[in-house]
This record gives sequence, structure tokens and C-alpha cells, in this order.
Amino acid sequence: MIIRRATTRLADLIGWHPTAATLIGATLVVGGFLLAEANWWFIALSGVGAFGPGILRELGWLRDNDEFARRAAQRAGYHAYLVTGLAAFVLIGFIRSGERHLKNPEELSTLFLALLYFTWLLSSLLSFWGARKAASRILIGFGICWLLFSAADSWQDPLGLLMHSLVAAPFFALAALARRWPRVAGLLLIAAGVFFYVFFDFYSDQRGGLITNSVTAVLLVGPLVGSGVALLGARVGGEPEAAA
Amino acid sequence: MKDDIRTEVRRLRFLNGEMTQEELAARVGVSRQTIIAIEKGKYNPSVGLAMRIARAFSVRVEDVFALADETLPEATHDHQARDDEIG
Repeated sequence: MIIRRATTRLADLIGWHPTAATLIGATLVVGGFLLAEANWWFIALSGVGAFGPGILRELGWLRDNDEFARRAAQRAGYHAYLVTGLAAFVLIGFIRSGERHLKNPEELSTLFLALLYFTWLLSSLLSFWGARKAASRILIGFGICWLLFSAADSWQDPLGLLMHSLVAAPFFALAALARRWPRVAGLLLIAAGVFFYVFFDFYSDQRGGLITNSVTAVLLVGPLVGSGVALLGARVGGEPEAAA
Repeated sequence: MKDDIRTEVRRLRFLNGEMTQEELAARVGVSRQTIIAIEKGKYNPSVGLAMRIARAFSVRVEDVFALADETLPEATHDHQARDDEIG
């Protein structure tokens, strides 16, 4: 009872009430990734968790979303199709030109899966919450993740923890800026995304190789640039916001 | 175009005993997020949902939604009175 009430309050706070199917799907995704450490076949569980609910909804066997949520998911699917399709053609050109050999080519499927899924997820959030609210919450999420990583990394060194944690401050500042001045925040986010891309050499074949670097870039740079582009299109002062 | 429809949902909620978004959502079978999106002009509902919303307020669909360049008719709770005026 207490857990349920706490969960409801948390859902109210973040303005997202996941359905039972979504929660089961998320559990399968996480479980699949964890079990894949033992045997890679378990990764199929993650696939079922990520795409199973959507397949059931399209078949009409699961009716847990209303028309607004369905439209957001369908629109996001189209965005994912466009982005992934464009990336596929660029990559075909890159590989067939024969200028460079790719390290870890088996990571290609991971790259396209990450591009497909995270484009869909980002677009869904932007449609569901509106650009300003979605961008703001994504940035808060980034900031919290950074704080958690900092705590895990430097919990024995208070000064180091403080220094690490300060890096999260720009994310929280940008989250506030996204609500009030979306276009300024949008430009800053795109600039930050480009900066991270260059600063961390995501375009190079160093470290894990270009494909692995690109997967990381999709996870780190993608949300920043995607949110930034959406914020540039947001109406200043009166952009419709979807969820509370 | 997603913003070429004007909506009176918020005003009609107010006129109907300050009905909450949650109550309206429950009446028409959608989530509160959907009602918020409709009120903000972010989402144009399907014909079916528009009719359910109008029914929840006991008015006609065109009393709730109109093209942005058209004036919304004054919402009435009495269909018959309006029909009598027309015909």
C-alpha cells in the first residue's frame, strides 16, 4: 500500500503514469541486459520488453494507451525511421568508400538499435510533454545521473565528490533555462552537444572504435542535440505543454 | 497544421462546476495528459473523442471546437433551444 502510494506520488511528480505493460517491458529490458552477461541469448528478452508492448498495441491485443499517446508513439516511430534511414545511408557510403576499416563491426547492430530506440524515445517524450518540459526533464535526468556516477566514483573523497558534482550544475541551469528561454537553451544545448562530440573524439576511431564511440554519442549527445532542436521550434512564452 | 483549431474545453470545464481535467478525462475515457494537450491546442482530438467531449458538456461539437479563423458559437447546454433557433 505504502509502495503503491509512493509510486503514484512519484508518477504525479514527474507527470508520467506508465501502464503495467510499460513497467513489465522495462523490467524485461533491464533483466535481459543483466542476464546477457551470462548468455547473450537473453538479450532477446530486452527486445521483447522494448518492442513487445508496441506490437501488442498495434495488433489491438493491448489497449492501454489513448489516442494522444498512440499518436505520440506513431509520430516518434516516423522520426526514428527518418533518422535511422539517413544514418544507414551515410554509413553505407562510409564503409563502401573503403577509406577506413571499422573496429568492432559487430557493434553496428547496437548502433542502429540505439539510434532507432533513443530517437523514438526522445521524440515520444517531446510529443508527450512538449519541448520545454521534456527538455527540462531530460536535462534534470542527465544531472541526476551525473551526480549518481560522481557519488559512486568519488564517495571516499569529499572534495573530489564536490568537484565532480559541480559538473552537474550546468545541466540543472539549462533545465531551468529551457522552461523560460527555450531558444537560448536550444542553442546552448546544440553547442554543448557539438562540443561533447568533438571534445570526447566521438568521430574518431580511437578507444573502442568509431562504431562504439557513435553508440556512446547517441546516448550522450543525441538527447542534448535532439532537445535543442526541439526547443528552437518551441513557441516562446506560450508553447503548449502536454503533461503536468 | 496542429494549431488551426480553437478549443473551449477549459472554459466549458469552468462553466460545468469547475470540472477537473481528471474528471473530464475519466468521463471521455482518456488520460489527463490528453485533456491538457487538447486544452493547450497541442493535440487535435479525433472526431469520436471530440464528440465524447461535447457530450460530456451537453453541447454540440462546434461549441467546443472551431477553426482558428472562425468564431466559436456561444456554448449552450440546451440543444433543443439552438435547434429551434435554426429551424
